[in-house]
Amino acid sequence: MDWDQLDLNPRVLTAVKKAKIKSMSEVLKYSGPDLQRLTKLSIVDVQHLLKAVSAELRKNSVVTAFQMYHEKHLFTVQHQKLSLGCPILDSFLRGGIPLVGITELAGESSAGKTQICLQLCLSVQYPGTHGGLEAGAVYICTEDVFPNKRLQQLIGQQHKLRADVPLDVIKKIKFGDNIFIEHAADIDTLNDCITKRVPILLLRGSVRLIIIDSIAALFRGEFAAKDSAVRAKYMQTFGAKLQNLSSRFQTPVLCINQVTDAVGDIDAKQSNFGLLDKKVAPALGITWSNQLLMRLMVTRTHYAEAEPEQHPAVPSPQYRNVLRIMEVIFAPHLPQYLCYYVINLEGVKGRKDKE
Amino acid sequence: MQRDVGSYPLAPTVKVKLIGAGFLTAQDIAGMKPLELSREAGISKEEALETLQIVRHESLGAKTCFSEAAYVIRKCTALELLEQEQAQGAIITFCSVLDDMLGGGVPLTKITEVCGAPGVGKTQLCIQLAVDVQIPVCFGGIAGEVVYIDTEGSFMIDRVVDIAEACVQHCKLISESHQQDEYKEGIANFSLDSILSRIYYFRCHDYVELLAQVHLLPDFVFQHQEVRLIIIDSIAFPFRHDFDDLSLRTRLLNGLAQQLISLANDHKLAVILTNQMTTRIGQNQSMLVPALGESWGHAATIRLILHWQCQQRFATLYKSPSQKESTVPFHISALGFRDVPASGPHLSSPEFQTNPCKRPRVEEDEQ
Repeated sequence: MDWDQLDLNPRVLTAVKKAKIKSMSEVLKYSGPDLQRLTKLSIVDVQHLLKAVSAELRKNSVVTAFQMYHEKHLFTVQHQKLSLGCPILDSFLRGGIPLVGITELAGESSAGKTQICLQLCLSVQYPGTHGGLEAGAVYICTEDVFPNKRLQQLIGQQHKLRADVPLDVIKKIKFGDNIFIEHAADIDTLNDCITKRVPILLLRGSVRLIIIDSIAALFRGEFAAKDSAVRAKYMQTFGAKLQNLSSRFQTPVLCINQVTDAVGDIDAKQSNFGLLDKKVAPALGITWSNQLLMRLMVTRTHYAEAEPEQHPAVPSPQYRNVLRIMEVIFAPHLPQYLCYYVINLEGVKGRKDKE
Repeated sequence: MQRDVGSYPLAPTVKVKLIGAGFLTAQDIAGMKPLELSREAGISKEEALETLQIVRHESLGAKTCFSEAAYVIRKCTALELLEQEQAQGAIITFCSVLDDMLGGGVPLTKITEVCGAPGVGKTQLCIQLAVDVQIPVCFGGIAGEVVYIDTEGSFMIDRVVDIAEACVQHCKLISESHQQDEYKEGIANFSLDSILSRIYYFRCHDYVELLAQVHLLPDFVFQHQEVRLIIIDSIAFPFRHDFDDLSLRTRLLNGLAQQLISLANDHKLAVILTNQMTTRIGQNQSMLVPALGESWGHAATIRLILHWQCQQRFATLYKSPSQKESTVPFHISALGFRDVPASGPHLSSPEFQTNPCKRPRVEEDEQ
């Protein structure tokens, strides 16, 4: 760091160097009296030093909410969202997934979590006018192998799912080339992946979406019950790293989480997000919940879609479109509410709430 | 600012060099950094700094004396304090039971800490207060500005607009039902844009940035005398990871709390901090407690804990110097932080048990 850039008397700077304070952030770690003792400067000089260092570190000065709201081109983060590729689900989420922050998608197995992720991998590649970010996605698998066959199927059906997008736009995008798949079977590999490999992809600009499928498998598997403090620490560090990546590159992070059976105790009552009617709760506890911007939960109902089947070629009843529910558990900008959706050959589609 | 450089009490050699380099009036110099000036004019850095200090000091006059004023010991009697406290008002939350519990709203000159599990409404309360602090005096507000420091990235402009519009609408209804002129004047200057332009937003990504920002706040508040509320959402997040040295964390947090208290006192403003919850594992049962440890509990004057009970959100006043400990229900609607509607969500009506997939739909939640 360049000390000479500071608006300070050289005498103060010499004293700082003599006190063996190496970086500016180190200055802020000391209190005023501590700095006086270390540098042998007067209190006024120390105050100047603290102010100058703070001003240097906080170059991006104030913005008002008014600027944020009206100068849309400068604050894209606040206005742009990543589309899910379905207008009903998008309007349910007020535009889609926020660009900065960790979004969690929790649900039982077979609720459709992976399907939603796959669809996001494709919709992120559309240009901004069609709700995408014009970049690829990195998909980190921790549990299963990547469902490549289904991805190819979805790519083939894109023109049907996205009827709103002109065909030549869809044709131009090489969907398969922009999805980077990583396998991480343990926490160290995952850490390695998000600290080294993912930043390279982000720096190159080839990726604007990070998906981790699933976060729970690693943290639930690797730690015994008595190690919960260590686990909490790992999760906090990991969450902070993801948040850092997300805000540095304005890249949404989507984490899939498993659910756990809710066992009634005092702890659960306070933190169950008002979900008394639920039999299950998202896994990993409150430490992980604290890292999230918003949490969605998906469940599968026992009802099939009421409308007549669009593909009469599929005969047997178990292939009927099962109605599923996407629910906002918490989000700073959304009410707790739910939306129905189905998964068919083309992908994930929201259904208007008719019942 | 058009004053000649030659007329300042500077060393002749410096004057010659300055004029030789083309700096003729004070205006030319005032905006520069010492390093730039020393390079441009060919003088040493000390000389440049001295020059700038003299030029700035003479042109600003007495404006810089505030830092010394802070050291003057203030003395006042308990009666004066009481009068001051009664005169200064509070920031209402739009949830009347919560206001009553806090004694009229969030008090000025104090630090209030809001704790709660994710999703219970901490950020909603912050945004609501950021809007409510601006309500004009004639509507019972304090017409202040607000500094919003966001460390988590959960400040959503869409949501701010929702809440601000609802607040403007509310005041409009009041002004329509009362025909006095002061209400009309009040509402004329109270619009969505005016609310948004009085929210100063800072984004801090880590604790170093947060510390730096808090160091800069005294100057900022001095320049913006109308600021009546400082919000840090949340204080916990930057301090809860990558800290191996917990004593350093405690030290930094205590320092931060001290700076905020002196800000709150000097400028008669309220400070709102949000904190996360963590699990404390006890002998036979674990419970949720506010994060950041035991000593941080002393930092805030008022501590409010938000929590869920069944399907209802509740706020518990956990620590307060003047109000008694109690718990009240609250509700978050599309319009913001509100009282629980009279016909609102029932605690456990038989309907939910039969159909576990459906949650009650409150009228206002529909958009």
